[in-house]
Amino acid sequence: MADMQPSLDTEAAESQRWAGIYKLLDRSSLIHPKFEPVPEIKEFVKSAKILVIGAGGLGCEILKNLALTGFKDIHVIDMDTIDVSNLNRQFLFRRADVGSPKAVTAAAFVNKRVQGVTVTPHYCKIQDKDEDFYREFAIIICGLDSIEARRWINATLVGMVDPEDPDTLKPLIDGGTEGFKGQARVILPGMSSCYECSMDMLSKPTGFPLCTIANTPRLPEHCIEWASVLEWPNQHGERKMDTDDPKDIQWLYETALARAKQYNIQGVTYSLTQGVVKNIIPAIAATNAIIAASCCNEAFKIATTSAKYLDNYMMYSGNDSVYTYTFQHQKKDDCPVCGQSTTKLEFRGDKTLEELMDYLKEKPDAQMKKPSFSLGGKPLYMQAPKQLEEALRPNLSKPLAELFSSGDEISVTDSTLPFSLQLQIDFV
Amino acid sequence: MDAKTQKYDRQLRLWGSDGQEALESAHILLVNATAVGCEILKNLVLPGIGQYTVVDQGTVTLSDIGSNFFLDQDSLGKSRAQQTCELLGELNEDVQGHWVAKDIVSLLEENPNYLSDFTLVIATAITLKVAEKIAGLCWQASQDGGNQISFVWVKTVGLIGAVRIAVPEHAVIETHPDNEKLADLRIDSPFPELAAYAKSFDFNTQDSLEFGHIPYVAILLKYMEDWRAEHDSKIPQNYAEKNQLKANIRSGMRTIDDENFDEAFNSALRACNPTVVPSNIKELFQDPKCEALTAKSTHFWIIARAVRDFVEDKEKSSGFLPLSGTIPDMKAQTDSYVTLQSIYKTKAKQDVQEVMNHVKCLLERLGLASDTIAVQEVETFCKFSAFLKVIRYRSIADEYLNPKKKEIASWLEDSYSSPLFPQYVLLRASDAFYDDHGRYPGEGENWEEDVDQLDHNVTTLLQDWGITQENAVPKDLTHEICRYGVGSIHNIASFMGGVVSQEIIKLITHQYIPMNNTFIFDGASSVSNVFDV
Repeated sequence: MADMQPSLDTEAAESQRWAGIYKLLDRSSLIHPKFEPVPEIKEFVKSAKILVIGAGGLGCEILKNLALTGFKDIHVIDMDTIDVSNLNRQFLFRRADVGSPKAVTAAAFVNKRVQGVTVTPHYCKIQDKDEDFYREFAIIICGLDSIEARRWINATLVGMVDPEDPDTLKPLIDGGTEGFKGQARVILPGMSSCYECSMDMLSKPTGFPLCTIANTPRLPEHCIEWASVLEWPNQHGERKMDTDDPKDIQWLYETALARAKQYNIQGVTYSLTQGVVKNIIPAIAATNAIIAASCCNEAFKIATTSAKYLDNYMMYSGNDSVYTYTFQHQKKDDCPVCGQSTTKLEFRGDKTLEELMDYLKEKPDAQMKKPSFSLGGKPLYMQAPKQLEEALRPNLSKPLAELFSSGDEISVTDSTLPFSLQLQIDFV
Repeated sequence: MDAKTQKYDRQLRLWGSDGQEALESAHILLVNATAVGCEILKNLVLPGIGQYTVVDQGTVTLSDIGSNFFLDQDSLGKSRAQQTCELLGELNEDVQGHWVAKDIVSLLEENPNYLSDFTLVIATAITLKVAEKIAGLCWQASQDGGNQISFVWVKTVGLIGAVRIAVPEHAVIETHPDNEKLADLRIDSPFPELAAYAKSFDFNTQDSLEFGHIPYVAILLKYMEDWRAEHDSKIPQNYAEKNQLKANIRSGMRTIDDENFDEAFNSALRACNPTVVPSNIKELFQDPKCEALTAKSTHFWIIARAVRDFVEDKEKSSGFLPLSGTIPDMKAQTDSYVTLQSIYKTKAKQDVQEVMNHVKCLLERLGLASDTIAVQEVETFCKFSAFLKVIRYRSIADEYLNPKKKEIASWLEDSYSSPLFPQYVLLRASDAFYDDHGRYPGEGENWEEDVDQLDHNVTTLLQDWGITQENAVPKDLTHEICRYGVGSIHNIASFMGGVVSQEIIKLITHQYIPMNNTFIFDGASSVSNVFDV
């Protein structure tokens, strides 16, 4: 019976409940001599608004950790619903929750389990919220699997910084995992290296040349790509593929298998088909726990100043023994988001605009999908609207030297980019 | 796809159905339902460990619910073992949880064989004495030829976490090397079918499409053979010669678009490394367990011996390990790629067959049934034979009774590569402090009074190890440990819960390589260290 329970709100109960943390906050340190154990710090932890982006594998862990660190006003934003394949790690969800919004289910679970905490869910895209929303938070922690979303929040937070007003600087803590590996980092927008600064650390986006897929398949992956990229539109016309629909996956699998047989290629399986078309990254609870805890430990140190926070990057690998590498990633002078100078690119003037486009799609630190180009406000190539695209299409096959001069600055926009990239192209 | 495969899809991509089966047959014992202990179990229950048992005689306090997610307000005053067992059990309907509200020491007194039911024992919040007792029992059971019981001892103290693994021997076949490393192309010593394949390409063809699609393996083989013809049958020996081979390849290119030549050029240096049995695998072959098989030998050692016998049969193996049989993707026409792939695969299969014959001979000699070891097991072993790993952990008794004085001195001196060794010393000193005072440093209100006492324990330890270095363990750090006062901080519990569960998954599945033998994380500086103490 609820009324029989001891109150957890009394000061004595509070200090017992948070005994481990309060030792850190009540006691001075010789290692961190600047830290002053004043009561305001505990009050700040209780009142600070923290935003968690993503309620997936990392998000579930982050919410739990923040609640058990003593933060009481936590918000979570996620646009996804729960899938059965989430259950091996997203521990706030049960089989009966499949199909429900992640943010709502996760918030309700933590609110019920940890007395005194309020997690507020936002079941929407991060892009649906404006700067006023993000301005309310003291710290933002990301547990995302999408590069696009990370670039967006990073650019948004960097854009919000007003050097005159320290409150506009929102520390961004970002975590990511793959298999037994992961990384955690602290970004002080405008001050330290931002997400965009480190885009070149990402590996090349996986993709196979169209001619290999069409003419010389060798790997089971080539057959699967053929089925999904070339054969799907042939057979299904306008209908878009739903990679969450087992019927569509089954069709892709069978189609890929038939092609593989024709070419004597082995290894097409249902699981591989799913992995390739959904770009599945292996994920386990253990790694999410490590990275989320690391992110939350940094949030705690930033919020309390009780120890030095991470400056600014930690990598973790558990494949062979346990290895971490902690280092300071350098801010990029010509970072298109937080840098001071223009981004420069050396490219051959006799290459066509289409070749430049392909290059930007493959370049790890660009990762564009459908870039549009303009020069001094004049469009060179636009992906939409249709008439404009058709009118400008001839430009794609022209050499760059015909379209502009060496050293000119062109603007590149792309649906994956939350900003327009100013690119100075020097012909070589 | 069945329901279980769907649920476990993201992890099956890491350890496959064999790894999953191993997890599902494991039974884990958790000694003390601390925050870190429950976090470890969480990360094992979710991926579907078979069973777990929580042993804890305590009742739930306020500070427990402040740091342990698997307790809530309703748990206050109830059995900690029962409450955590139940809330952990909700995570996965396929896992069986058990609890015992007793102290581990009295359990072991009642039944000295209590541990023999378990695959692995996790111990948290125990004193050195109890740790030594449990560790000794696990070690003894493993030595007696029964089931191996891995012992995992975990500590969290404020912002510091540490874990120690002890098991007499841990052998791994599937170490999961990078796919690129796994390819064993034999460019320096092609077997006949491979050499014939390379000769089937016409390097003078006028068809540029055909020329641009000669697989790079064939290009390397041709240029290597041309080289040998001019160099006394030797492959390039030094840097200059290797670069010359690369230059030769480059000069064979017709246009800069011949990606296949680029691929050959980029792989040329590796192709110049002579195919040999790696030194750590040679060592494995010399291991007494490989030399002297008995009917009780594990499959690992029997197959290892069979591989050794195969390697020694130079007529069959040319003195090489069995071929892995995998090749990387490369620019090529479908047919020539598929043919090349099947040439490697066929040779790998022949090698497996030869090793299998040796396995059968060995089994017969040992008086074991010839189907004791399945061909699939031999196949996997052969595929990864260049990457096998055997870890012999030091026992906890050894760590305490025979300290590695030389290594300890150098760990303390080299603060660049071993920044966290002082933390190891302090955790050890804290146990000694407990022996002296019956409590841990910094637990009480007058925490700063413990700093000198703890420093005294540090000095004693360092003296025992013959350390003369001044300020080897900075006193500020000793002060910091007292500041922490063995407080449990959830973030650190959760971090360690993740690390330890990764290690346990590696130990149970016998896949990937676990650390040897002590891992320390410092949440204040966000760095970690591994020491083989």
